[in-house]
Amino acid sequence: MIRYSTITILLLLAAFIVQQFLPAFTGLFYSRILLVQLVFLCCAVTVGTPTMLLLAFLGGFFWDAQCALGPHGGDPEIYSQQVENIRFGYSILLFGAMGFLMQGIQPLFKQGKWQFSALLSGIAVLLYLAAEYAIINFVRGDFTLTRATMWQMAYTAILTMLFSPLVFWMLFRIARACDHSINPEAGRRRRRAR
Amino acid sequence: MKPLNLIALLLFLGGAVWALTRSDRSVREIQNAYYGAMAPFLKSGSKLETRARAFLKETRHSKELEAELEATREQLDRLRLIESRFRALEYENLQLRHALDFKKATRFDVVAARVIRRNPATWWQTVEIDAGSKRGIGTQLAVLSNEGLVGKIDRIDNGGERSSVLLLTDEKCQVSARVEGSPEVGILSGQRGGFDGEPVLRLRFLSPNAAVRTGQRVLTTGRGGIFQANILLGTIDSVEKGALDSEALVRPSVNFADLGAVFVVLSSDS
Repeated sequence: MIRYSTITILLLLAAFIVQQFLPAFTGLFYSRILLVQLVFLCCAVTVGTPTMLLLAFLGGFFWDAQCALGPHGGDPEIYSQQVENIRFGYSILLFGAMGFLMQGIQPLFKQGKWQFSALLSGIAVLLYLAAEYAIINFVRGDFTLTRATMWQMAYTAILTMLFSPLVFWMLFRIARACDHSINPEAGRRRRRAR
Repeated sequence: MKPLNLIALLLFLGGAVWALTRSDRSVREIQNAYYGAMAPFLKSGSKLETRARAFLKETRHSKELEAELEATREQLDRLRLIESRFRALEYENLQLRHALDFKKATRFDVVAARVIRRNPATWWQTVEIDAGSKRGIGTQLAVLSNEGLVGKIDRIDNGGERSSVLLLTDEKCQVSARVEGSPEVGILSGQRGGFDGEPVLRLRFLSPNAAVRTGQRVLTTGRGGIFQANILLGTIDSVEKGALDSEALVRPSVNFADLGAVFVVLSSDS
């Protein structure tokens, strides 16, 4: 259990490195695969609440460290209406909320129905992006939502979701290697059937 | 709720509050540490990418390369000619300035850099370049390409070999701008959210009856302490007149989808 949890943390950190080299799809409204969020979501459904919260903290913290922008600079008399920065750390709360959402269907995952979790990972990414965009609009004012933005969010969620079976496959392999079961009920059922 | 889960939740909320209350300086320190740890991976990743590109280039047909070389030579000759003319004009300009008894000599020091990659953020428009503090680059310096203004330096990596550029297409990159051939001045910035095809910039705070028309060039004013004057930003695409002020949509002069070499302006008196 401890070994598996440690590996999920390392897997999340590795996702940050890989994410650096994943380009945006210019033809699909600059959508991209959010590997960090995907790995977190898939791990969240396989671990207990304390580990999920630790992963959410690390994921949100490093995501903001990667993306946060600096202060505006320049003469405030000329740039009197400066664009507000989103506070560092907001992603921690978004990751936590996504994690709890994923854990909501943990009973299904434990029964071996990982497909529902894969589908929910796409929905969670869409909600994450929508919440992030809503926060930007709330902080900066002047609400705008264009068709391109909606497509960007939708394509990002779909592209990310398509990779979830691969991440789940990796997690099953890791769990087996650690001698740990992430879907114990499905395992029991299989043993009974034999 | 189980006691262990409750303790974990309280610790999580405490950690989130701690992160949310960090000052700008602390955030910069955290980012420096993060990118410092990431640097070896980014470096080796860039090397791999360069090798892959070089390999692909090598596989191209030699005749194609020959034709390209010939075209480049012609282009070089043409540029040499333009450069010699430019030098002559520059010399003439300098002499005229001296003649007018200008107090300071004109300086426009730039550092050439290459765009390495686009940063993986969903809503922010930033790219990373292969030049940092080791080459005299600091934050809030203007970044240009041969087509016009690209953006400004947002962050310098700890190692001093890389920096992050906030692109003009980002909502947070504001530029004091003027419309050529009119008294109109305003603030130019990118648009929020995603964009379909080519990005469009917003020039706000123009006068209600702004006499601007499609196709007019938009340039920097030089006010505001970040961007030098008369750098090309784009051309007016459309104008929306309001009761209190007008707004124009501007098509940027720079092709942001194909950024290669850029120049960071270290200092200038222009």
